[in-house]
Amino acid sequence: MTALADPAFLVTEFSRRLRDHGVATTTVSGIDAVRALGAIDPTDKRDVYLAFRAIFVQRRNDLAVFDALFQEWWASAYAAPDAKRTRAGSDTPNPPVIAPWDEPKAGSATALTRWASSRDDTDGEESIPLAAPSTRDATATKDFRCYASDDLAALEQVAAMIVKRLRSRRSRRWRQARRGARLDPRRIVRLALATGGDPIRLARRQRALRRTKLVVLCDVSGSMDLYSRFLLQVLYALQHAFARVETFAFSTRVVRITDSLARESYREALRALEAVAESGWSGGTKIGESVEAVRVGWPRLFDRRTALIILSDGWDTGDPAVLGSALSNLRRRVGRIIWLNPLLASPSYEPLTRGMQAALPHLHVFAPAHDLASLERLASHLSF
Amino acid sequence: MKETIARLQHAMAAQGYVTDRATATAAYLALTLHKPLLVEGPPGVGKTEIAKVLAGVLDTELIRLQCYEGLDASTALYEWNYPKQLLHIKLGEGAGQSIGEREAQIFSEPFLLERPLLRAIRASRQTVLLIDEIDRSDEEFEAFLLEVLSEHQVTIPEIGTVRATYEPCVVLTSNRTRELSEALRRRCLYLWIDYPSLEKEVEIVRAKVPAIDTKLAASVAAFVQAVRRHRLIKTPGVAETLDWAHALVALGANTIDDDTASETLGCVLKDEADIRQIRAEVASRGAAAVVAAGESTE
Repeated sequence: MTALADPAFLVTEFSRRLRDHGVATTTVSGIDAVRALGAIDPTDKRDVYLAFRAIFVQRRNDLAVFDALFQEWWASAYAAPDAKRTRAGSDTPNPPVIAPWDEPKAGSATALTRWASSRDDTDGEESIPLAAPSTRDATATKDFRCYASDDLAALEQVAAMIVKRLRSRRSRRWRQARRGARLDPRRIVRLALATGGDPIRLARRQRALRRTKLVVLCDVSGSMDLYSRFLLQVLYALQHAFARVETFAFSTRVVRITDSLARESYREALRALEAVAESGWSGGTKIGESVEAVRVGWPRLFDRRTALIILSDGWDTGDPAVLGSALSNLRRRVGRIIWLNPLLASPSYEPLTRGMQAALPHLHVFAPAHDLASLERLASHLSF
Repeated sequence: MKETIARLQHAMAAQGYVTDRATATAAYLALTLHKPLLVEGPPGVGKTEIAKVLAGVLDTELIRLQCYEGLDASTALYEWNYPKQLLHIKLGEGAGQSIGEREAQIFSEPFLLERPLLRAIRASRQTVLLIDEIDRSDEEFEAFLLEVLSEHQVTIPEIGTVRATYEPCVVLTSNRTRELSEALRRRCLYLWIDYPSLEKEVEIVRAKVPAIDTKLAASVAAFVQAVRRHRLIKTPGVAETLDWAHALVALGANTIDDDTASETLGCVLKDEADIRQIRAEVASRGAAAVVAAGESTE
């Protein structure tokens, strides 16, 4: 076995192939790999393997992909050291597109349109009618598909419970504060400079507050229609129970509906949403593209103190790979990813849709959301 | 070149650390490429030990920084000596210095208290810097570490940038209680250490507990291997195996019989439910059967 003819080229090739398979490699790791080949015996497969593994792999989950690709690469690199392969076709996936606002499409039969126009049902001062044809009797277990109207008060209580779980915490870090509990020696010394070394003026500090944010993505495609009124109320209740909520509705494109939801009353919120919905939607659901669009479009929403909630049944007409990569990316940045699937309540349901399959490995919580009890149970999963 | 890795492996073995080629290669690259080494794996598999052994091999000082939530620059990097500063201001009174001059004086080197990171950077020879359980610190601290790890320098606002004359060999460990940032991972070489194989564990027991009988060492390792295949709340690491081996030697046991096993299980298992589960296993099948199960590879 001879030494590599062009290590830089072959290493770059390998690095690119890893990247294509989701292992995050960098130029620096490529350079390190070439340097490593100079420091070890480049014809010893085991040593090259171990060295490259230390350099390119950044997490345990990447090991399996790395192993497979390394075998492949080693075979090809040493079989024909002179053969320069051309780069395979473009490896950038299509960038996510947020469809423009001013392009109303005909046949905009999506849930948001109907959701918003369902306003009339809730217009009157109805009490809680439970006339739905359900065999179950308790309000709490009533599937919201069967709900004739709404029980906003009970939902608001559950939303408050959820939010309590997500409350902000005191960080272990100190911040300057006028009335802090502890003294801040560094600033006291500076202040004492002016008074000849006598610490007369005291400076204080306290623990910083780590604020929790909530980002909600709600599927408003036709298949989610059955749960529309309930979910709309969940969104409304969350928006009002918690100050830092950003809400987005999506089907094939994404719309930020935070401002629409943050109206004084539920009725006004519905009216505002109706206006949003009038701009038109096309059929189908592109979950991955939508999640990716929010991730790219509002990057500052996502950090360790963010809980991301996705409300969707997982029927995806888009590319499941896009969903998988968007979620795996978010998984490393946010504190919690919670997928609420109304269908999950059905005992016969299995999350077999391709979209759901792609999403599952990246979720912290996968739970049903079809009635009050399911939402109450959700609250217990939420602290992070 | 090839021998260098082997030599490092032997040197590590001479320090009482039974290692494999993967660990030696990663450590070797960390030293030659001057990159930090991030070691992940379950608790008790000897991640921290790597740094100690490297310090021994290089015959240098080990500087350890134990991470915890809320760890900040004043504990990790430097702190000002406040009482000394106040005294100095008092003593300098009437010397006719301006406030600016006095400020420059008290925020200078003699008033600096070194913490582990600064000590590693300013050391007069290469040291081994162990940043232990980095996953316990918070993201703010991780971000702060990046400068130290990639540039081998630290910035103190009042003084300026301090560059390392001798770049420390940095080892970070993580138990994966939380996901580390991409930025940090990118800057490190990566090593995943899993529970050792039966052969390796026997070797480790014999290296660390020289007084142990060869057969007993094999039984201890096999028993623990079998225990690890159970669904446990806390899977025992190598540290527990060694504790147990020490205990058995101290008790003068020659073999693991049912009684010794259930009496000393507390060395291996640290959770009541786990102990109950394994004790029931020993009671129904006998300790010898558990050992035999551990010896067979699935």
